[in-house]
Amino acid sequence: MLDKRILENCDSSSANQARLELAERKQFIEQLFRRNYSKMIHLASVLLGDDEEAEDVVQDVFLRVADSDIPPKKDNYLLTAVRNACLNRIRQMHLHDKVKRLMPLEDDSALQPIDKRMKRLDDIATYVDEQLEEPHRSIFHLRFDDDLTVSEIARRLGLNPNTTYKYLMQSIQQIRHHFGKH
Amino acid sequence: METANENIRQLMEMLDNPDAYTEQQIQNIINHDEDTRETYRLMVEAKRSSRHRQNKELVNVDAAWQRFNQKFQPKQSSSNWMKIAASFIGVLLVSGIAFAAIHIVRQYQKQETPQTEISENATPPVTTLPADTLTKDTVTVQPVIYDNIPLEKMLPEIAAHYDVKVVFANDVARGLRFHFVWNPQKGIDQIISDLNQFERLSATLKDNQITVE
Repeated sequence: MLDKRILENCDSSSANQARLELAERKQFIEQLFRRNYSKMIHLASVLLGDDEEAEDVVQDVFLRVADSDIPPKKDNYLLTAVRNACLNRIRQMHLHDKVKRLMPLEDDSALQPIDKRMKRLDDIATYVDEQLEEPHRSIFHLRFDDDLTVSEIARRLGLNPNTTYKYLMQSIQQIRHHFGKH
Repeated sequence: METANENIRQLMEMLDNPDAYTEQQIQNIINHDEDTRETYRLMVEAKRSSRHRQNKELVNVDAAWQRFNQKFQPKQSSSNWMKIAASFIGVLLVSGIAFAAIHIVRQYQKQETPQTEISENATPPVTTLPADTLTKDTVTVQPVIYDNIPLEKMLPEIAAHYDVKVVFANDVARGLRFHFVWNPQKGIDQIISDLNQFERLSATLKDNQITVE
């Protein structure tokens, strides 16, 4: 619709020029999108924990880029924009929603380089899989992968809830201790 | 030690059922002490780590593009957007609009701190600093005005937007103060180029690091 409206207001030679520009511009956005979407949606999903919201953020970033008169010089800029948009969304959440979704309450580490943050998340996942013993590892996965409460985990594994709390605390302290040293 | 464990146990109980707690109670539990705060931070990272590991399957970019394409209509650009894209590096563009008010105010002003504070707290016409970093960092059309701000404060904030680091190889440059209008839509190369318009400043970008000499 917008294209049509613009073109109706132009004479034929400028209409051709406008048509060409629009096509080039759309092609540029598509290439940018296809090149970066996977990383962007992954980052947004990791930070927000909600696929729909993540897609909303990524689309919003591309809409803003498309609406801008100056194209982004580096693709990394898009990841930074996604991160910042996610952090702004988190900041606007109510406290109850933040803690339900295990969101940060403060922005202290928000400006760490994105690749370093992702590397740390990789390291934590590897540490959990390689260094935690059973039943600690299963408890950890049920808590953080499946979002089960401690009571639900205890029922699932046939453990006493107090014991389950204790094991989960031990796992968290062990990870804290390990990554505190590194 | 027993108390520390009780605090963390209380944290975990609260996280299992946050709706049973008021906001104040939640804040009190998480911020009870540094140990509890750190435990919460680690749990945030553990959750993210879990999502990071779980979300590694391939994404259907075609479907995503189709969804985006339904919303997306590129606007007609008066400034020939594609030409800008193609010649971004080669053209040294000092925009009269976005870069109108740049000049060095003074080089060594640390002794005049009270006056500086007044100037920094004055209300600039568009977006003021210190602004909220995260809000400022998003893709925005709003220019940010640095009014009489030292380079050592201004540049790291701008650099963070582009996810690059800043190193000052020259301490004199740290104290340079600017009236600088930063348009976050500009690329980092353009910002470096704008800064290099000043004779007393040399900034280079390499390997995601800005070096100021």
